[in-house]
Amino acid sequence: MRGGAALARIPPVTETRFEELKRSVRFESVDAERLGGFRATAAPHFTRIARELSERLREHEEAHAVFSAEEQTERLQRSMVRWMDRLLSGTYDEAYFEEMRIIGRVLVRVGLPQRYVFTAMAVLRAALEDIADDASADAARPIRRALSRMIDLDLAIMMESYREALYDTVTDGSPNLVVGLDRQGDIRLLNQVAQSVTGYAREEVFGSSFVETFVPHDARPKDAPILDRILEGGEQRIVEQSGLKTRSGKVRDVAWTFSRLANGGPEDVVVFAVGADVTDTLHASRQLQQNEKLAALGTLAAGLAHEIRNPLNGAQLHVSFLQRALKAKLPEPDLVDAANVVAAEIKRLAQLVSEFLDFARPSALAKKRISIQALLKRALEVTAAESASAGVTITLDLPPQELFLFGDLAKLQQVMLNLVQNAVEAITPAPGGNVILRARRHPRYVRIEVEDDGPGLPTPDAPVFDAFFSTKPAGTGLGLAITHRIVTDHGGTIDVESRPGRTSFSFTIPIGTDSTSIAPESR
Amino acid sequence: MDAPLKPRPLVLVVDDDARSASLLARLLHADGYDTEVTRDGAAALARLARQPSPHAVVTDFHLLHADGLAVGRYARFRRPDVALFIVTGYPHALTEALEPLEAPIEVLTKPLDYADLLTRLATAVAAQVAR
Repeated sequence: MRGGAALARIPPVTETRFEELKRSVRFESVDAERLGGFRATAAPHFTRIARELSERLREHEEAHAVFSAEEQTERLQRSMVRWMDRLLSGTYDEAYFEEMRIIGRVLVRVGLPQRYVFTAMAVLRAALEDIADDASADAARPIRRALSRMIDLDLAIMMESYREALYDTVTDGSPNLVVGLDRQGDIRLLNQVAQSVTGYAREEVFGSSFVETFVPHDARPKDAPILDRILEGGEQRIVEQSGLKTRSGKVRDVAWTFSRLANGGPEDVVVFAVGADVTDTLHASRQLQQNEKLAALGTLAAGLAHEIRNPLNGAQLHVSFLQRALKAKLPEPDLVDAANVVAAEIKRLAQLVSEFLDFARPSALAKKRISIQALLKRALEVTAAESASAGVTITLDLPPQELFLFGDLAKLQQVMLNLVQNAVEAITPAPGGNVILRARRHPRYVRIEVEDDGPGLPTPDAPVFDAFFSTKPAGTGLGLAITHRIVTDHGGTIDVESRPGRTSFSFTIPIGTDSTSIAPESR
Repeated sequence: MDAPLKPRPLVLVVDDDARSASLLARLLHADGYDTEVTRDGAAALARLARQPSPHAVVTDFHLLHADGLAVGRYARFRRPDVALFIVTGYPHALTEALEPLEAPIEVLTKPLDYADLLTRLATAVAAQVAR
């Protein structure tokens, strides 16, 4: 027996919270047997004890407030009887632990102040000890000891519930995400903001791994080691921005602060992750940066327009003069050619300046109701000659029902023209090929896709929408930048997906209404 | 001797770029116009204050002392049917400055397409003569 007791003090490798608690108050199997044996003696008194207990609670204002109605009092008494029944059942396994936790949570939920849990336990303890004493003076001592240990265990479990509830109450008031992790990195706490951002309810993720639940796959190599460092206690505090995978599979940007608390038991919160959802802020600040960039670019473009067009003006006049003089004097054809080349180059430069200005200082949108079917058919017609000579087949994939949206027709035609020409040119080195123009209605926007089966972008991550990025020898690198600008000025988005054999540029334009089609302020 | 059948229309060219201005004048002269050249806004206004009033004014927008729009408006005050061409590297600013109900002022973007100017000039001057 002594050896057994000594053994019990050595913590087993894996010990549940309840086992650990039992070990700490020295609740042993013999205690369980004694309580089980005592049940028959005590059972006839359960109803009386329950009544006593509710009377005691009624003496206290705050406890009384919780159980004021007759119906509530009766329910409380019935619960007390069941509780005593369970307390003396003789079986104290993990299910018991869970039942006590649930009772604790119910008490928290009905709003019984924590101190009255001690009141209840004191009433219970005194009443049961009296019964034990009255029944048999000899056996009373070990039964009293077992009772005392068991009641302490129940108290410990219920205090946990109160502490968890306190964490929830405190963290629910936070405007930030608060996630509590145990020493395995499993989720033990999820405040309201964290629930609403992630889309998970507390119960769904309790006990699941933080990394597996919330960290997107591609971020795990970076984030998992950080979490390990803090879980192992190597660092007390780490600030880290990371992606957060939500229940619906979306990824939010969250600025986390991981803080390590003192060590705790297996299911205790040892790390608090407090996060701010910065997705919208990041998006807004990126947008702001982009707008500032564009504004600066606009100013630059206006200045540049002068600085380039003025000398071009002089050059062009002089070339006109030269061309005329040469024509009059019938010189060598080479001379005429040379003058013509200069004239053509001046035109090209002038065109570049105009395109750049279009991009950097676009005119305000003139929105009206546009048929998407007509827009795509027109794009097909305009590029028909070019695609025919390249041997490229263009097909339309349109919904049967006509789609309308409010947009700037001329500008959207420019978008279509740019994308279709790009697609045809992307295929052209090889003979033949296909381009599909596709339109689909979504609840609030229309998605238009231009897909080709050419070799794809040389580098899929290339910044194709940046000004002056071009993979074509003759390109100005402004076509897609202008396209991007027109789409975003409409409040839409544009994306590209590319692999050999399938490249797709797709953009969305909000359907809008007449009243919302307010042109951006003129620039 | 070629006796002039009718007087050649007079074009005032205003540009601070002296070489371009005189070259434009030379081209216009070859195409049947009499020309005068001034280099800044003040000189242009001074010239417009005198007779004979030019049939047309081709002016740069950015000028010293008075801009092309001021020159154009004064020319129109002196001669309501004057043909006005303002040449600019950055037409956005100018189109925004124009009054919506103002009689047409043609805004041409640099680099100036000479053949295009010639066509427009001929049309405008023909309209004046017809009146």
